[in-house]
Amino acid sequence: MAFANKILLKISTALVSILGSLILVFFIIYLLPGDPVLSMLDPATATPEMVENLRKELGLNQPFYVQFTEYFTNVLHGDFGQSLVNSEPVLPKILEHFPATLALTIASAVLSVGIGVTFGVLSAIYRNKGIDFIARLIGLFGISMPTFWSGILLILIFSIYLNWFPAMGSDGWATLVLPSLSLGFVGAGLIIRMVRNSMLEVINEQFIITLRAKGLSERVVMYRHALRNALIPAITIIGLNIGELMAGTVVIETVFSRQGIGRIVADAIMAKDLPVIQGVVFFSAIVYVIVNFLVDLSYAIIDPRVRRSH
Amino acid sequence: MALLLLLSGCANSTGTKNSSAEKNEKVEGQPKQGGELTYALATSPDSLDPHRSGLAVAVRAFRTIFDSLVVQEPDNSIKPWLANEWTVSEDGKSYTFKLREDVTFHDGTPFNAEAVKYSFDRIIEPKTQARNSVALLRPYESSEVLDEFTIKINLSTPSSAFLSNLSQAMLGIVSPTAAEKYGDQFGKNPVGTGPYKFVSWTENADIVVEKNNDYQWGPSIVENKEAPYLDRITFKIIPEEATRIGSVQSGQILAAETVPPQNIVSLKNDPKNQLLQVNTIGLPYTLFFNQRKEPWNDVRARKAVQFAVDVEAIVKTLYLNTYSRAWSPLTPGILGYDKSLENSNSVDLDKANELLDELGYVKGKEGIRVKDGRQLTLNYVDGTPNREKRNDIAVIIQQQLKKIGIKVEINITKDIASIVQQNADYDLYGNSQVNSDPNALRAFYHTTTPQEEATIKRLGGGSNPELDQLLEEGTVELDPAKRADIYKKVQQKIIDEAWIIPIYVFPYTVAATKTVNGIKFDPLGYPLFNDVTIK
Repeated sequence: MAFANKILLKISTALVSILGSLILVFFIIYLLPGDPVLSMLDPATATPEMVENLRKELGLNQPFYVQFTEYFTNVLHGDFGQSLVNSEPVLPKILEHFPATLALTIASAVLSVGIGVTFGVLSAIYRNKGIDFIARLIGLFGISMPTFWSGILLILIFSIYLNWFPAMGSDGWATLVLPSLSLGFVGAGLIIRMVRNSMLEVINEQFIITLRAKGLSERVVMYRHALRNALIPAITIIGLNIGELMAGTVVIETVFSRQGIGRIVADAIMAKDLPVIQGVVFFSAIVYVIVNFLVDLSYAIIDPRVRRSH
Repeated sequence: MALLLLLSGCANSTGTKNSSAEKNEKVEGQPKQGGELTYALATSPDSLDPHRSGLAVAVRAFRTIFDSLVVQEPDNSIKPWLANEWTVSEDGKSYTFKLREDVTFHDGTPFNAEAVKYSFDRIIEPKTQARNSVALLRPYESSEVLDEFTIKINLSTPSSAFLSNLSQAMLGIVSPTAAEKYGDQFGKNPVGTGPYKFVSWTENADIVVEKNNDYQWGPSIVENKEAPYLDRITFKIIPEEATRIGSVQSGQILAAETVPPQNIVSLKNDPKNQLLQVNTIGLPYTLFFNQRKEPWNDVRARKAVQFAVDVEAIVKTLYLNTYSRAWSPLTPGILGYDKSLENSNSVDLDKANELLDELGYVKGKEGIRVKDGRQLTLNYVDGTPNREKRNDIAVIIQQQLKKIGIKVEINITKDIASIVQQNADYDLYGNSQVNSDPNALRAFYHTTTPQEEATIKRLGGGSNPELDQLLEEGTVELDPAKRADIYKKVQQKIIDEAWIIPIYVFPYTVAATKTVNGIKFDPLGYPLFNDVTIK
C-alpha cells in the first residue's frame, strides 16, 4: 500500500513538473528579446500590413491569458503549432527526428554505463594498481574533453585517416559508433568516479567483512553484494546523465550531421523559430521527467530497503 | 568579365589536359552517363519553394528543379530559356514573351502562359508569404495570357533590371497543379521543369533529386541542353566544416561547398582533389555607417574611420588572400562596376587624426577621444555567428580604430530585425547581397518614402537628392552603356561621401574529388549540374 502511495506521489510530482515546464516554455516567447514577427519577414520587402496580418494570424495580438489558454488546449490535443520557417507542424517533426536522438542517447548511455561501471569497479578492486590509473585517466579525459572537440578528433582518426566509420549521417549502426563514443565518454568519466568512490566505501563496511568471514567467495562478495550497494548512487548519476546526454546531442548531431531533435532545436534557435523551440523544449522536459521517474522506480528494484522505507 | 571563372585545382598544365580529355570524349560523342553526385551543403535550406525561400543555400538545391523564363550570360546579356523571344513596349512597361511549346513540368502539367501567370501572381499574393522573390519581381503588376504560349507582363513603372531579375532562380516557374495541391507544403514537394526531379528531402540529412529524362531545354550557359548525364544528386547537409571537407578528402562524398580559407590553400595543392572557386556578384560584404547618429552624420567622422581601417590587412589575415578585397558598393562583374575605384584610398592615420581633431574630439584617458565629456564610441553590430569570420573582422577593426582614439563596442546578435532595422541602434553594421543587377543598390541607398521609413529603416540612413535621382534613372534607363555610366556615378558618390566601408567579395568555393567533371556556375555564382559527369 505504502509502495503504491509512493508511486502515486511520484506520478503527481512528475505531472506538476511537466505543467511547470509547459508554463516556462510558453514564457520563452516573452523572455526572448526582439519581435518574432519581424524576424520572420524580410525587412526589405515587408509592409506594415504584412506585419499586422502575420501578427493576427499567429494570434499574437490577443491578450496574454487568451494566448496561454489557447496554447495549453492545443498542446493537450497534441498540437504544438507550426514552424515559422516552413509551416510544418511541430509535433510530427519532433516525432520524426526523435528516433535518431533516442538511438544516439541509448547507445551513448549503454557505452557510458558499460565503460563507467566496468572501470569503476575494477579501479576500486585493484586500487592503486595499473588498471586503477588507466581507469582514472579515462575518467579524466571523459570529463574534461568537450564533445565537439573529441567528435572532430574521432572523425579525423577513424573516418578520414582510417576510413573505418562514416563521418556523417544517421542511417545504420556504423553511423552511430563515433558520435555515441564521443558522447558516451563524458558520461563514462562521471560514472567511473562515482562507482569507484562508492565501491571503496562499501568494501570497507561491516557487512562485507561479515560476508567474507562467512566464507563466501571474493567474486560473490564483490559482484553480488558490494556492487549492488554501490550502484545506488551511481544510478542517480546515470539518470541525471541521460538528461545531459540529450543536451549533448545538440552539439554532437551538428558535428556528425545527424538527424535528431538536438539539430532541430539548434536550427530553430538560429532562425528564431519559436513554436519549434517551444515544442522541442517541452518534449524534452517530458522525456526527462519520465526518465527520472523510471530511475526512481529502479532504486526500488535494486535496493529492497527503498521499497520498505517510507 | 570572366564570370564562369573555373579555377581548377592545379594550374595550367592540368587545365589543358582536362580540355583535351573533354575533346576526346566529344569525338566519341558520349560523355559518361549515370552515377550519383553527393554534394555537401553547409547549411540547411529553409524551403525548396523558389518563391518562399530567402537563402542562397536553398537556391543551390532548387536551381536543379526549376527553370526561369530567361538566362543571363556572363557578359550580362539576356538570352532565351523557357521563353523563346520577347518584345518590350515603347513605354518600357510591358513585356510580351513567346514561350517554348515543348516543355512539361515533372508532374506532367504542360508548361504554358497560364503557368507563368500563375507563378508570378503567386509571388505577389500576400498569402504566399514570398520573401526575396517579391522584391525581385517588382514593379510587376499583372499578366495577360494572350494565347496558350504568349504572355504579356505589365509593370507599374519601367524597370531595366526586370529581365535580369527574371533570370534568377527565385523567380523560377512552378507547376500550378502541384502548387495548388500542396499549398504551403509546396516547399517540401517542389515540382518544376528543371533538369532534375525532386525525389525526397530528409530534414537535416539530405535532399535527393534525379535525372529528368524528358529535359531538352537547357539554357545557353550550359553545354548539355538535354537530360543531364547523372542519375541523381544527393545534397547532404553537413554544417561542421571539418566534417564537410574531411568527407571529400576521405572520398566519402564527392563534393562540398564553402571551403574555409585554410583548406583552400591546401586543396589547391592536393593531387586527389580539385578546388572550384567563383566570385559571387551583387553587393560585397560592406560596413554601413549609421548616419542618423552623431558623429557619423558628418562626412569627416566617416572619412576618419575609412582612413584608419586597414581593409587590406583584414582580408590578408583572415582569408589568407583567398578572398578578394572589395572597393565599391558593387562587386566586380556586375553591370556598371567602377574599376577606377580600385586602389583609390589607402590607410592614413595622420589624416584620420586630423579629421577627428577638427571635429573637436580630444584624446583623453587611455587614448580614447572625448568631446563634451563623452567618449567617442562606435557600436559595431554583427548579425552572424562568425559566418565567413565576420566577427573576427569586428575584432580587428576594434584594434585598428583604437589607434585613432575610437572605442569600438562589438555587439554580436541574431536580432538584427529589431536592433538594426527597427531601432537603428548601431553605428556600423555589415551586410552583403547576391544579385544580378546594380538596381539592387536602390534598396540600400535610395531615400525611401516616409511611410516605409516608419517600419523598416534602410541601412545607413544617409540621404542625398542627387544620388536618389541617379538611382531612379538607373532603374529605368534601357541603354546598357548609359546605365553603366549612371551606376559608376552612384558608386563614386557613395565612396566619396564615405557612406560605407567595402570589405570583401565572397567567393563561392567547392571542393571536389578529381573524378567529378563539369560543375559550372551561373553569373551569380550558383552551381549548375547539367554538364556533370563522374569518372
